[in-house]
Amino acid sequence: MPLLKKRTSEQVVQVPMSSMIDVVFLLLIYFIVTHKDELSEAHLAVNLPTPGAAASDRKPQFLEIEVRPNEVYLQGARLPLDTVRQKLNVVAQYDPEQTVMIKTSLQARARELVSVLDMCKEAGLENLNVLTLED
Amino acid sequence: MRRRTEDSVETPIASLIDVVFLLIIFFVVTASVEKDIVDDTIKLAQAKHAKAVETKQDNTITINLHDDGSMNIACHPVSKRQLKQLLKAAVAKSGNTTPVLIRGDAETLFREIDGVMEDIGSVGLYRVKIAAEVTH
Repeated sequence: MPLLKKRTSEQVVQVPMSSMIDVVFLLLIYFIVTHKDELSEAHLAVNLPTPGAAASDRKPQFLEIEVRPNEVYLQGARLPLDTVRQKLNVVAQYDPEQTVMIKTSLQARARELVSVLDMCKEAGLENLNVLTLED
Repeated sequence: MRRRTEDSVETPIASLIDVVFLLIIFFVVTASVEKDIVDDTIKLAQAKHAKAVETKQDNTITINLHDDGSMNIACHPVSKRQLKQLLKAAVAKSGNTTPVLIRGDAETLFREIDGVMEDIGSVGLYRVKIAAEVTH
């Protein structure tokens, strides 16, 4: 009996092959298309230094981060990335509006700048300025 | 005679529809791909915590910056002079609130990024973003 049953079901399945392939192709194309749209990119907003801003003699409380090749300085002290991250979190807790000046050395890589920007975003600091470090 | 040709035409309607659908999908896909050409040769720096963008403002100017300092916009190589002209044209067309996105390779020196940012600033644009790849 089971043998007979199997036979009939096989016969039924055999019929709509070509249309099934069509549907499968359509699904495949659909997934390929939607997948391409999911480019996971983050866009980190930074402020540009406005011309003449450096000349002002007001002394606001900036948080200063220096990005040099393979090293990061926070307020003039060279610190490991994890410590910088912790300190940024503390700063952000007190004042999320804190202006951060990220002075980047011309020899630093984009990767290093992005990692610092990312740490600031993680802490919740949004007021980020990217400046050039004259050395 | 006439009847016979009509009979033979009637048969492949279903497959015709399939082909038409495929053509429609093909054109839809190529049209939307052309809208934002992404330079895949750039390996963006990775950001672990930043949120991935869902929608990009339509008039965003995307500048692709390779690690050797060469630039292109929508896969068209541009020189520094051309870039400045393009930025000026963008300011004239849609004002200085036009966002600019810098897609720099992870290994690009900040020197190159700084040069581009200076150009952006000099024409009066100030909404600058730096692209990073989101890794969670």
